[in-house]
Amino acid sequence: MYWLTKEQLPLLVQKLAEEYKIFGPRHDRVSGEVIFDHLPDLSELDLQAAIPYNPPKFILFPHYEEILKYRYQPETKKVRIEQLNLLEPKALIGLRSCDLTGLLCLDRFFLDQEYVDEFYLAHRKKLFIVSNTCIRPFPQCFCVCTDSGPAAREGFDLDLTFTGRDYLVEAGSKKGQALVEELNLVEADPESLNLRKQIIDDSVSSFDRFALENKAWISRATNRLTTGFIKPEVWEYIGNQCFECGACSFVCPTCSCFNIEDANLASGETSRLRTWDSCSFEGYTKMAGDHNPRKPVEDRRNKRFFCKLSYSQSKKYLRPGCVGCGRCARVCPGDIGLPNVVTYIRREITGESGE
Amino acid sequence: MPYFRGVCNFCGTGCGHLLRVEGNRVRGVYPLSGHPLSRGRLCVRGWHIHELLQTEDRISQPLIKDGSSFKPVSYEEALDYVVERVKKLPGRQVAVLGSPRASNEENYLLGKFARAILKTNNLSLSSDAGQEESARVLLEGCGWPAMTGTLAELRQADFILVVGGDLTKQNPIIASEIHHAHRAGTFLATISPRKTQMARLSQLHLRPKPGTIFYLLQGLARVLVEEKAIDDDYLSTFTVNSQTFLEELKQVEIEKIVEATGISREQMTGLARKLKESNSACAFYPTGVQSLDRRTMAALFNLFLLAGKIGRRGSGVNPVTGISNLLGSYDMGLSPVFLPGYASVEDELAWERLENFWQTKLDRWSGKNVDTCLSEGEDIKALFVVDHDEEIIRHVNRIRQLDLIVYFGAYENPFASLAHVIFPRTSYVEEEGTYTNSERRVQLVLKRIEPPAGVRPLWKTLTNLAQALGHDWNYHSVENIMSEISQLVPYYRSLTYEKLKARLGLKWPNDDLHPEGTDCLLVEEASRRFRFVQVNGQEKKLAGEPEVQKDFPFKLVVGRSNYFWHQNSVMKRTFIPKREYNALLLLYPRGFVEISKEDASRLGLREKQVVRIVAESAEVRLAARISGDILPGMLYIPYFIDEMIPEFLHRQVADLEKNEEFFLPVRLEKVV
Repeated sequence: MYWLTKEQLPLLVQKLAEEYKIFGPRHDRVSGEVIFDHLPDLSELDLQAAIPYNPPKFILFPHYEEILKYRYQPETKKVRIEQLNLLEPKALIGLRSCDLTGLLCLDRFFLDQEYVDEFYLAHRKKLFIVSNTCIRPFPQCFCVCTDSGPAAREGFDLDLTFTGRDYLVEAGSKKGQALVEELNLVEADPESLNLRKQIIDDSVSSFDRFALENKAWISRATNRLTTGFIKPEVWEYIGNQCFECGACSFVCPTCSCFNIEDANLASGETSRLRTWDSCSFEGYTKMAGDHNPRKPVEDRRNKRFFCKLSYSQSKKYLRPGCVGCGRCARVCPGDIGLPNVVTYIRREITGESGE
Repeated sequence: MPYFRGVCNFCGTGCGHLLRVEGNRVRGVYPLSGHPLSRGRLCVRGWHIHELLQTEDRISQPLIKDGSSFKPVSYEEALDYVVERVKKLPGRQVAVLGSPRASNEENYLLGKFARAILKTNNLSLSSDAGQEESARVLLEGCGWPAMTGTLAELRQADFILVVGGDLTKQNPIIASEIHHAHRAGTFLATISPRKTQMARLSQLHLRPKPGTIFYLLQGLARVLVEEKAIDDDYLSTFTVNSQTFLEELKQVEIEKIVEATGISREQMTGLARKLKESNSACAFYPTGVQSLDRRTMAALFNLFLLAGKIGRRGSGVNPVTGISNLLGSYDMGLSPVFLPGYASVEDELAWERLENFWQTKLDRWSGKNVDTCLSEGEDIKALFVVDHDEEIIRHVNRIRQLDLIVYFGAYENPFASLAHVIFPRTSYVEEEGTYTNSERRVQLVLKRIEPPAGVRPLWKTLTNLAQALGHDWNYHSVENIMSEISQLVPYYRSLTYEKLKARLGLKWPNDDLHPEGTDCLLVEEASRRFRFVQVNGQEKKLAGEPEVQKDFPFKLVVGRSNYFWHQNSVMKRTFIPKREYNALLLLYPRGFVEISKEDASRLGLREKQVVRIVAESAEVRLAARISGDILPGMLYIPYFIDEMIPEFLHRQVADLEKNEEFFLPVRLEKVV
């Protein structure tokens, strides 16, 4: 553990900028929104900013990405494929632990299975991650229910914890350690370890006061979903409120579904595109021959929550596919973000009346 | 590259978004949580606007028809071609069709080009049917042409009534606001024959038979009187013609309304009481491609006035525009009945003001909308069209006879192939411009990417055309045009780009009295009086309804849905929304007609069985889609023209597209 003074922070960022493209939270001046964004102007980085409305997913898994370009030559009947170089060193500074956990979930999907996704890998390979402890939760947070915060435990190169004036720094990798040494950061004494623990404990215990938007009793819901005893009426009630916009998937730090399209360009080339997709769309599960295992909207909705809390992510990754960031609750036109769905499931278990 | 703040350009909600720009390409979109209206939400269309902006189907240079194809030409050649042909034509032989997706500046200039240079008063928008009626009804009733309240206030209302259409599909984020209000305790009722998602989200859904919403609203007004739920003080203080209205209302017989609508007296009483008990009550109805008819809008306004809900904060009657700048286009006077700022074309003083301002003589003859121009007579010889939405394609044979068709567009379009001259134009992120959403919020969209090489914005092309026709407009930027608008349109008096750049929009009126915009003008002026809107005898008559006829026992209604929105000319250029569209279309390659479960089982129809829909003078074959969402006796065809609604509807019923209250009597036959 080391100390990084407030004054040293710009040096750290500067140092990283020499090698990496810098991403981090910034404020949009007019709307006040916090955006996790590429920062051509490093002074825009604001580590005290609230949790950004967008997760950093787009950096590794863009909304819309050209992954291949080819040209078919009818004369020679040959196809010429252009190799795209997606490799670009990037540093993500000020990542909140929920978003870091989301990124690790994406790693498991794209990299840790039989098939390794080379495009994701290209973005992931030269990544430097600086996480930032939430010393106080934000209104929409429930990472304590999903074991993903308020402080990071793994996956970072450097982890920062703001102590009121300076930052406690933990190196999580050789790259991180090297940077700490290069910057000549002062080593922190053992008491500082306790200080970090104290800060995290305080943050956890302040959820009852600050994080009032959402409650998600994930474990009960996971249990219920895994055993499969949820009345169809509950899903129908939820399905009726779904506007089928796909936003829950798009804003989710762990959602990894995508669509592939070949678009013909005016130049005569064809561009192969990967775009975000969502299980809330009817076309997503549609198969040849007019079959659709999940045609009604309520079936598509429950697919999402089975995926998040039961078979796909929870059973395979041994953690819920939800990181407690609360974004889906805010972005949902139908007000059926994951915390509300968990509440409806829980009400069914406890037999509470209400919606 | 970073995210840039902007405004979605699909529907009239005007949600805030962030566009991700890489190089000169828009590569992603994200909702803007700080936006006062959309508060971090987007609908399925808004979430894919970057896919539309990627499209390679651009028009990238001026084109002139050469036999059956087009040859690329320079701007100068194209300008010369138009000038040579148009300068010989009298204004009455020219019609101008604007686009409700174009910015205020572009539409203002198009109107000026039509009136001041082409000397024509034949100018209108596509997809405008309901908006003009709505503005006229509200002007008559309260002297105010648009939403009387604001969207930000609707969460405070304790009674919300949604009439017609399906807001969850047309303006999903406004529907979401309504849904949130309902979840927080607001009473929510929907009146629509179809069981829409809006209806499913409501506490009370009244399902009058197609074409009878007007009677139901009259019935509700009559019940209010019978229940003695009228505040006489309010009526005598705030309204000028309540006696006449109440007198006429006496002739409304509830029994007949129950019979016509299929809604019981108890249901009407229940809803009327809820309305009366509420402190703040809002009504919403869609305008644009799909809307209510005039009499129904009038009846809705009158009902709310009778209940004492007009001119109160948090209450009011709110038209919801289906297309991004539909309201703004009217503000700019792109209409045969309004001059800029809603001055009536019958107002001589307004004409003189305009002549002074534009420094040219204007003709006063009364213009027609383009649809009427094309369906009546042979007068029209030339047509100017901006970004057409495939709607007037039903006049295709008439259009082919025209001597000159000038098309201004960013994207390739089946309509463009009919043109003699095509001018490319910038897309909405390639040039600055303001757009006015349903709640009168004027928002500035900044230029975020460069247009394809050589492509000029519409305002420049129009300025060039004006110049070539002898008028020096002297605009150097879009901002020049806005400062002209602010001098001419009272509601826009103190709007400037500088102000708009620092804010997420300003609601008009924006003038010296309202430098930060206005939430609800009607509550500000204690002396303001309201009128019950006249519905003429012809409109009122129950007997005037197209009776359900023996030979044509079904009422056929058309509507819209998420992915088939706007005849798909826009959605076709995306990937995910297009896939969703195809998912349904592939199941019904020849289109479908929805029929109720009851009728299907009575007639012994199977899902996807091919049926023949026969109207008086045409017929069509479609697959039956059995649905629990429509009433027995009703048939429903979703609205997406090219693929779904063939010649049958093109020829048959221009009116079907105008409002959902219109239906076509048909019969259904099995195909053996």
